[in-house]
Amino acid sequence: MGSISLKGIRKSFGAVDVIHGVDLQIEKGELVVFVGPSGCGKSTLLRLIAGLDRPTSGTIEIDGRDVTQAGAADRGLAMVFQSYALYPHMTVRQNLSFGLENTRMPKAEIAARVAEAGKMLDITELLERRPTQLSGGQRQRVAIGRAIVRNPTAFLLDEPLSNLDAELRGTMRAELAALHDRLATTMIYVTHDQIEAMTLADRIVVLRKGKVEQVDTPLNLFNRPANLFVAGFIGAPNMNFFPTEAEGGTAPLPGGMRLPVAATGPVTLGIRPQHLTLTDAPGGIPAEVTLVEALGAETVLHARTEGGAPLLAVLPGQPGLTRGQSLRLAFDPANLHAFDARGQRIA
Amino acid sequence: MSRILTFLTRRRGHGGRWHWTDVVTWVWLVGGTVLMFGPALWLISSSLKGPAQLAEFPPTLLPYVQEVVTVEGHAQPLPLFTVTLDDGSTRVMAQVRRVGANAQMIDPANPAERLNVPIANRTPVRHVGVATSNYTDPFLAFDFLRYLWNSVFVTTVATLLTLLTNSMAAFALSKYRFRGRDAVLLVIVGTLMVPLSVILVPLYSVVSATGLMNSLWGVILPTIATPTGVFLLRQYMLTIPDDLIEAARMDHASEWQIYWRIILPLTAPALAVLAIFSVVWRWNDFLWPLIVLSRRELYTLQIGLNTYAGELNVQWHYILSMTVVTMIPVVLVFVFLQRFITTGIAGAGVK
Repeated sequence: MGSISLKGIRKSFGAVDVIHGVDLQIEKGELVVFVGPSGCGKSTLLRLIAGLDRPTSGTIEIDGRDVTQAGAADRGLAMVFQSYALYPHMTVRQNLSFGLENTRMPKAEIAARVAEAGKMLDITELLERRPTQLSGGQRQRVAIGRAIVRNPTAFLLDEPLSNLDAELRGTMRAELAALHDRLATTMIYVTHDQIEAMTLADRIVVLRKGKVEQVDTPLNLFNRPANLFVAGFIGAPNMNFFPTEAEGGTAPLPGGMRLPVAATGPVTLGIRPQHLTLTDAPGGIPAEVTLVEALGAETVLHARTEGGAPLLAVLPGQPGLTRGQSLRLAFDPANLHAFDARGQRIA
Repeated sequence: MSRILTFLTRRRGHGGRWHWTDVVTWVWLVGGTVLMFGPALWLISSSLKGPAQLAEFPPTLLPYVQEVVTVEGHAQPLPLFTVTLDDGSTRVMAQVRRVGANAQMIDPANPAERLNVPIANRTPVRHVGVATSNYTDPFLAFDFLRYLWNSVFVTTVATLLTLLTNSMAAFALSKYRFRGRDAVLLVIVGTLMVPLSVILVPLYSVVSATGLMNSLWGVILPTIATPTGVFLLRQYMLTIPDDLIEAARMDHASEWQIYWRIILPLTAPALAVLAIFSVVWRWNDFLWPLIVLSRRELYTLQIGLNTYAGELNVQWHYILSMTVVTMIPVVLVFVFLQRFITTGIAGAGVK
């Protein structure tokens, strides 16, 4: 169990509309990541699912049951907060058992569940400590443990790794993925970090300004972004965009190359930095190097096209380029993305 | 020890010389100490003096006790004086009685011989000592323990109820959003500007109508809701992250459990401050208990002390000594909880 469906969810705070009609179906056992720039409403949406806020309109169903008006405690969900929200005056053990005591569970079962969660998260030796005596990573584990002991229908995680340093974030990310495999419980994970989204998600929900831009698997988002926003948001460094004018079934790129496009009028062509390669042959996009970031395994090339548009390329290895050098960048037309005047993908 | 000395002799001037700020600091601190502790020390030293010595002018700094001697033929011990005789010699003599400006003195070794001496020519023989009867008499004659019990009861119950009701109000005003919340807070804080003397008569009518006159509950109940307490606790509770409350809601906690198990323990520093204030306020309350309580067996200590001030005669020595005793609990509260006061007020006042 653990399917969640949102139908026509809207949320306003006073006169400000934050969520503009979200429809979403989350399957049982799925790990869905809500991703988007700050202020896109992803945390608000999570809070609506959690029951901490009520939607202005629309319905929320969990396992087919309408819970729109149900309280947070009655939805069978568990949440991990960005700030961890551990009770500072309680020991780790008390933190873990607080939710279970409230449901009047027998003491023996509480102890068993706490012990099991402690073992699973490797926090057994921390059980008698208080949250202030723990490191960031340990607090994170305790926060997850507090969710696990509840044995919820679904986990809601609100930017759970954002307070950790980069190294720990990588480790915890892997642990979360392993945990999800093991528990096979539905998880909804909110983040603004697209690497977390790409590595963890079964499906990613890209949100912008309270609207769902695209819902798909990580690789589909990368390979076939539905619109300009998703194309620009997913993938690092960002996709190169060339606004241009399509005529007679083709559109020109800087350097004069024309590419077939199934539209007329203003279009935007996009090519990912990873898909550009150096070439000596005529054709391709001529550019002048403005900055070379040599990272060893790859080189990030900042360049400017003839028209003055900035261009990014990620080249494998160490090609030995210098600033001011002129070069040509080629690509496979299959990797080209085309978007119409409204920013929607063309075919 | 040497570190204390280094600390005390530290100067801001070059080469350890006096700087004008050093002078100001010392004057300020010494002056402040005298100003703060002077009255308390005067109270304690005066409480150890007998009634005659309290009336003496100029007053002495230390308490003295008159030396007495038992002389044959006199039932009471007689006070000893150093008498300067006409020929300039001095003798230690006992005073039998005083008649006008003269005193009848006898030599304890030779009780038959009496001498009339002008009182200006004799000075009392006395040593530094304490009039312990100031402290012991009230415990025997005065119903001190009954008054103490009443005071302790009023203070404890009123403080507990104050903490409970004020923290509940503060919880609602800090963690729930409802229409008119700010207006309610404003009204509560606004009552700070209404002094007791203004509401004395209506309060009396209410207490009288509810049959609480001459009951300790009549002293306790009107005092438990304090705007200061609500405001202090609310400001502190605002600093508790809402995430904790939401986490508790996800954890199936009822609103009461959130209040009792999450909010209250986390508000402990501010509660300690309010508890200290409440204890001091209730312990020192005078006007309201004086109005409500008219039966002697219900008197609190402060009202009990008032009985020493009669219409014709004020028994200062008892008032002073019992004031010292009355101060002890409050002083103890401060001694043991002072760290909460400094940290709590700092934390509760501003975010």
